[in-house]
Amino acid sequence: MTARSLALTVNGRVRSLEDVPGSERLLDTIRWRLGLKGTKEGCRSGQCGACTVLVDGTSTLSCLTLSHEVEGSSLTTIEGMADDPVGRVVQDAFARAGALQCGYCTPGFVVALVGLLRERGQSARAEELLADLAGNLCRCTGYLSIARAVALLRAEGP
Amino acid sequence: MTSSSPRPDARPKLEGSAVYGMDLEVPGMLWAALVPSPVAHGRLRSVDLSPARALDGVVAIGAADLATLLPGSTGDPLRPLFPTDTVVYRNQPVAAVAAPTRELARQAARAVRVDVEPLPVVSDLEEVFPEWPGSNAEGPERIAAHVRAREGDVDAVFRTAETVVRETYRTSSVHPVALEPHACLAEASGGTWRVRTSTQTPFGAREDIASLLGVPEESVVVEGTWVGGGFGGKGAALLEPYALLLARASGRPVKLALGYREEFLLGRTTLPAVFRMETAVTGGRIVGRRVRLLLDVGTSLPGRDFATGFSIGFLLGPYRTPAFEVEGYAVRTNKPAFGPHRAPFAPQCVFVLESHLDHVAREAGLDPLAFRAAHLWKEGDTTPLGQKVGPFGLPTAFEQARATAARWRAEALPDRGVGVAVGFWSTGTGAGGEVRLRLSPTDLAVVQGEREIGSGSVVAGIASVAARSTGLPRDRVTVEYEDTSRAPFDSGVFGSRTTAALGRAVEDATHALFDDLRTRLGVSGPVHLEVEAGEIVAQERSTRRPIRDLLNATERAGGGIVASGRHYGKSGTIDERKVEVGTFYPYTDFTGVAHAAEVMVDRATGSVRVTRYAAFHDVGTIIDPATAPAQVEGGVVMGLGTALTEEALWSEDGRLLNPSLLDYRIPTIGEVPPVEVTLIEGFPGAGPSGAKGLGEPPMIPVAAAVALAVRDATGAHVTELPLSSERVARALKLL
Repeated sequence: MTARSLALTVNGRVRSLEDVPGSERLLDTIRWRLGLKGTKEGCRSGQCGACTVLVDGTSTLSCLTLSHEVEGSSLTTIEGMADDPVGRVVQDAFARAGALQCGYCTPGFVVALVGLLRERGQSARAEELLADLAGNLCRCTGYLSIARAVALLRAEGP
Repeated sequence: MTSSSPRPDARPKLEGSAVYGMDLEVPGMLWAALVPSPVAHGRLRSVDLSPARALDGVVAIGAADLATLLPGSTGDPLRPLFPTDTVVYRNQPVAAVAAPTRELARQAARAVRVDVEPLPVVSDLEEVFPEWPGSNAEGPERIAAHVRAREGDVDAVFRTAETVVRETYRTSSVHPVALEPHACLAEASGGTWRVRTSTQTPFGAREDIASLLGVPEESVVVEGTWVGGGFGGKGAALLEPYALLLARASGRPVKLALGYREEFLLGRTTLPAVFRMETAVTGGRIVGRRVRLLLDVGTSLPGRDFATGFSIGFLLGPYRTPAFEVEGYAVRTNKPAFGPHRAPFAPQCVFVLESHLDHVAREAGLDPLAFRAAHLWKEGDTTPLGQKVGPFGLPTAFEQARATAARWRAEALPDRGVGVAVGFWSTGTGAGGEVRLRLSPTDLAVVQGEREIGSGSVVAGIASVAARSTGLPRDRVTVEYEDTSRAPFDSGVFGSRTTAALGRAVEDATHALFDDLRTRLGVSGPVHLEVEAGEIVAQERSTRRPIRDLLNATERAGGGIVASGRHYGKSGTIDERKVEVGTFYPYTDFTGVAHAAEVMVDRATGSVRVTRYAAFHDVGTIIDPATAPAQVEGGVVMGLGTALTEEALWSEDGRLLNPSLLDYRIPTIGEVPPVEVTLIEGFPGAGPSGAKGLGEPPMIPVAAAVALAVRDATGAHVTELPLSSERVARALKLL
């Protein structure tokens, strides 16, 4: 596939990108074309979850997604969470629970959790949410503070 | 975000604005890639860069270009950046390329033609030394270090003992697996080599880069970024010299970032080891120990191995051992150089010693826990190597862990087992550390040269010490970072030293600051700082002045009153008469740690699940109540990886067989047990207000506690790490 233009809605703004090669990964489009470095590159092969973004509200590994596959979609990255009521609540719970250390996996966890809350609804139990976060790796926290952040969310909403 | 955060770095990290090494970008930069050796050992016939150079916009460099790029420099002859005759590990960089895109750089690296005549590969250290090395074994080039220490007539003790137990243990290779791969961005202009990099040691990297390039240290400037995890893997230099040389060759900024597979292949790894342990017991007491340690150090250079002499101490202590002979060899193999991994090699040694002593007690018909308890060091004891034990919370931690284990045992389901293990550590000092304080009318800044790697030691630890020592609220304290051309020197973020060493430097600077304030106020009594209506005020008995009124014109322009402080720590001493060969290391303080693990073992598959965990830590003084227990939780879970699943597998031809997160398994959120953390204060250590380092201790007894719990549950005595289901199944004779 040769390079062609690509239209996306990124954190609520319509973006039109020129000459995007067919082989380009969404992760690279986000980081190097759109300059949104909050989406992290970890393993680049779908094993760590650090690059998780929302595509039309669904949690997606941007390293395993070709940018042209999501043509016309609405993309939400960690930078878009400030404008997202669920995103803000999740960020706040992580901050209060101290659920981060080096922070490299953190955007992926926040975005994945927002996606799960959207997908599973407000009634999802904490254990289900944690089980579904198994695709996100964290080397620093041992996950216990992340579990406490999820528990805070369950106790207080959303 | 609406509420205040327990971590000052929460906001940039949660919002995605924190810039890590991987995120660095400047206009016009090139992307770099390294050209790897295709074999682990071979004679380099030729490296043909022309196919890469034929690609549009590609710059390629190899050994032949160094003379032009570094006129007058010989670099470090022992560590050539590109080999000229022999490659000694697989994927060793033999050339480097830069290109306008990352994809083209990779393509260019693949295009380089590397012609190597393969030579025999030494991969397994037991292949080198099937028996113990004799004095002439394989010649000195195989040995990076040799250490031996002795006390008493060990042969006589073993001849006359009631019980002698001899065992062999093996531990596997483990990788730090920081989630952010190594990454840097280099610029070379004029006489300056400038690199922004994800590093635990900006000053260590500067020194190493200067040495590798053979240029003056003052010409190298290292600027740290946020670090996406270190765990020992991001010290010294790795990629920076290559990026700098490519920047010089191309005249452009150059970004070099590893992919995760390369991170496994080139990142620093702790390598396999073999331990031969012998213990002699008479009358229920340890009377003698022999230790033989063979440690694979890959291509570490002779004389530059620290691990052997450092870690062998963990095969004696924290137990009184009247007669001993310990001997260790660091063996060179065709693998990348040995790298430290959070509490380098202590978890492996403690697994070996605790499992061995448990086994010795059983063989001698003694209660294993009581046997170990009877020999524990306490304050005032002397270590086997002759250092006096200072304030030491280990006996207290051990009793608490034992009580927890007893409670669990009383409640436990029949398929569960419980293990208790202990270890010790010493708060690192490194060469030393310095800071500057800058007191403005409204805030106190701690200006220093380390970046936060995740533990909180910089953003929370140093800030907490500054708040505590000046009396200001912590929200008035900021920690500022400067690059190595401006920041005061510090050794680096490693060795559980950062809050301790820089905290002591902050205390030192606080003394200087208050002396200065007394002079400005014209008083001699104690001064304290207060915040009043948003302004910082200095108060002595009857004198009270806002800081704003105490500044001269220069200070008003520069932001405040500046005071410097430093801490160059000292270790204790060991009795050098006991040392026969090599270097052994004294401790700065004695940090005790005791853990209890409960496990459930699948009797059909041997798979182990840790069902609950408790960690008791002698911390001296708690500096930051939010991040301290978080360090313990994270360290315990990282330790569970070492205990159960993490194993870098090396083939006979020196190939790393599992360089991916699918095949090298770290713990996931589903495998983590509840962890109770207890921090024990009151046994002061080397840090500020008697604090002890806490970054590494939580790793130390985990594998041992899990192994002892597995033995308790099933009787399986596993003498290798990790305790994979296969190894447990073999021990249970299921395979």
